[in-house]
Amino acid sequence: MGRLLQLLLRNGGFVTLVFVELFCFMLIVNYNTSQAVIWANTTDIFGGRLMERRQRVSDYFSLQERADSLANVVDSLQERLAYARYVQVPVRDTFYRVTYDSLTGSDSIRRKYVRPLYEYVSARVVENSVTSVNNWLLINRGKNDRVEPHTAVVTPDGVVGIVRHVSDNFSIVMSVLHSQTRITASVEGTGAFGSLEWDGNNPEVMSLRNISKHFKDKILPGARVVTSGYSLMFPRDIPVGIVEALPTEDSENPHFLEVKVRLGQSMSDVNDVSVVRNLFSPEIDSLKSKIKR
Amino acid sequence: MNSSIFPNFWRFLGLILGQGLLLKQAVQTVGSAYFNVILYPIFILLLPVQLAAPYLVLLGFAVGISVDMFYQTPGVHASAGAFAGFIRGLVFAAFAPKGGFNAKDPIFAPQYVSWQTFLSVSGVFFFLFLFWYHSVEAFTFVYFASIVLKTVSSWSVTMIFVILYAALFNPKQ
Repeated sequence: MGRLLQLLLRNGGFVTLVFVELFCFMLIVNYNTSQAVIWANTTDIFGGRLMERRQRVSDYFSLQERADSLANVVDSLQERLAYARYVQVPVRDTFYRVTYDSLTGSDSIRRKYVRPLYEYVSARVVENSVTSVNNWLLINRGKNDRVEPHTAVVTPDGVVGIVRHVSDNFSIVMSVLHSQTRITASVEGTGAFGSLEWDGNNPEVMSLRNISKHFKDKILPGARVVTSGYSLMFPRDIPVGIVEALPTEDSENPHFLEVKVRLGQSMSDVNDVSVVRNLFSPEIDSLKSKIKR
Repeated sequence: MNSSIFPNFWRFLGLILGQGLLLKQAVQTVGSAYFNVILYPIFILLLPVQLAAPYLVLLGFAVGISVDMFYQTPGVHASAGAFAGFIRGLVFAAFAPKGGFNAKDPIFAPQYVSWQTFLSVSGVFFFLFLFWYHSVEAFTFVYFASIVLKTVSSWSVTMIFVILYAALFNPKQ
């Protein structure tokens, strides 16, 4: 402390000068137009450069996150592509595509015609609820966007719900967090499947019910749960979530098992969704109606 | 020390009014940025030799901010004045005889030191002051050449006024 005081006294002139000059600097940049302009430009230039560098550093550190996100998008697109080609049927003679093969010098005939099974319509969630026993969502796509009732709504992370009512530009979606929701899902790699239902408690967890008892030892916590494909609405292998705990006896039907599934898509944070439309559902419905008669 | 307060006070007042009313007007009449007479730092130069550096800085700031009121450039002359207060000691140290200036020489005037020493010290002192002043005025070294040119030209004119001041008023206290 004594040394510091001595230093201050010895360099008192310099210390005073520093303080006085700082005060003068403040006066100059605040009350002199030309100097204020120069100062503003200087701080803009350096401020801008600083912000740019900061952004670059921030971008660099988030590269892994962005790569993961892009990988998810690629996975999702590949999945869609695979199911778009789900139905491949030989076409009739009139649909043959004839192409000229330059190597053999002959005409070759393609006998396969790719016909998509599902159509995806992207939408944005306008309203959402998770607090009641029966929850609903409102999305900004309707009849004009070819959205129809009884079509699935999904995200790359999981299932969201089923379209129930449609207006020209909007649709009401029955959330997976609804007491009437029943989605057939399976535990990946086991062959076990059941009905996905919500008991109205934790919005992050659903129950997979009616699983045959012989799968008891095969279902382990952490296993992926995906849609089974035994439905016209949901394509096969759409992610649902992960098994949270070992299976227990189904409380409603003791002959079956029940598994708690933690949802992959948090329903309290759902924004961009896809409506999945089965292009053949009218045809299949019409076919089914004949059996009912 | 007390006896030197009034002479310095009148010098302070006279130089501020002379700078703010006469020299400012004269420079504006000539109308060239390179013809700039800034005489008031002679007040700092003529303050008692033994005065401590912090007081010199503060008095330099005081005379500068007063001149700023006439020039409507808040802070510019104040900054240069404070700088002049700081460098006076350094310039003195460079030109002082062995053992430094002492109480026998109450102020740094030709009356006590030789004209040659007075001109050498005031020449360096005013050059450094004017360089600082023009730098702060420009506020960027992009115009470095212009700053140096203005410093040299205004120093040449100012030194004439310094000599005239010292010869006419012959300050003793």
